Amino acid sequence: MFADELKSLRRLGVRHVLLQVLNFASVLTTGLMIWKGLGLVCNTESPIVVVLSGSMEPAFYRGDLLFLTNPASERYHTGDITVYKIPGADIPIVHRVMETHDTVSKKSGHVTASPLGQRQLILTKGDNNPVDDIELYQGLEWLERKHIVGKVRGFLPYVGYVTIAMNDFPQLKYALLGGLGLLALVQRE
Amino acid sequence: MHTTYARINNASAFLSSCAMALLAMIAVSSLLFTADPKGTLAIDNVQIYPGKGRRYVNKNHDFAFVHFNVTADLTPLFNWNTKQLFLYLQAEYEDAKGTKNEVVIWDRIVRTKDAANLAVQGRNKYAFRNVASTFKNVGPANYSLRYSVMPYVGLLTYGEAARTADVIPFPSKREGVA
Repeated sequence: MFADELKSLRRLGVRHVLLQVLNFASVLTTGLMIWKGLGLVCNTESPIVVVLSGSMEPAFYRGDLLFLTNPASERYHTGDITVYKIPGADIPIVHRVMETHDTVSKKSGHVTASPLGQRQLILTKGDNNPVDDIELYQGLEWLERKHIVGKVRGFLPYVGYVTIAMNDFPQLKYALLGGLGLLALVQRE
Repeated sequence: MHTTYARINNASAFLSSCAMALLAMIAVSSLLFTADPKGTLAIDNVQIYPGKGRRYVNKNHDFAFVHFNVTADLTPLFNWNTKQLFLYLQAEYEDAKGTKNEVVIWDRIVRTKDAANLAVQGRNKYAFRNVASTFKNVGPANYSLRYSVMPYVGLLTYGEAARTADVIPFPSKREGVA
């Protein structure tokens, strides 16, 4: 089955294979650059996330794609849907802000010019959960800005399901990657 | 060039670009709908009772109970790209230390146009408590009815449908449960 491919590979020579490897690498790095560039513009470590659970149904279902931003000049408001990551927990959570408390700094001799210079205490809840998220905070009483990855701005349904399928069936991932790599090597031009 | 693989590749690439362009157009089209419906919100009464909460089981905490009356026709917010509305009633107040608080006390998810014509008389759905455990020396509150529009595809938008005309002070604590 692969005899033909192997033959053509031998005929094309080392130079061609190297060129294809280079092409492949440039595609990968371009992707990475776009991702990191987007992260810089949106001020968040992951500008695009996939919904993994049903706790925000019927707004978001498993596999929906969310676009996040986290402007440093904006406070969080009630009703905002935020993605947060508690230290020690491995998966970020997408839930809605239900309470915000903008405290005033008690340090004497300090004046904060902007409300953003002060601690904002946040409480979240999943639309589909009956109670708020205190149990999910792992001992923290409130969320704060440093826990929040971003605010959901845009929404694209179902597209992220590909990544969930790849996580659930790792064979699919390897088959896809292997197939793409092989094609990139074997293709003429 | 005209292999099956190339054909499949071209066809699927074209199909997905078309789908993406269509989705982008739908997302942009919802910027043209600029409905801003308004309703009325009245706070009938506010009472404060001591109790024990889920958060601090061993500590006494004051809970506020807010009875409200909402009428609003939010049907104009439903266009072809509206998946649902998230309606929420929030209290905004400042306490003695200067902390600015926003607390959602009631919410409702509206999924159809028929359900968007609202007439609700109710009490807060979520426990309403202050960070400092009592409502003593807390300034009066404003209440507002706000909504978040969730599209089928595109940007999430927010708005305010109603707001109390006057500030409403918190009463002093009552003992026991009536």
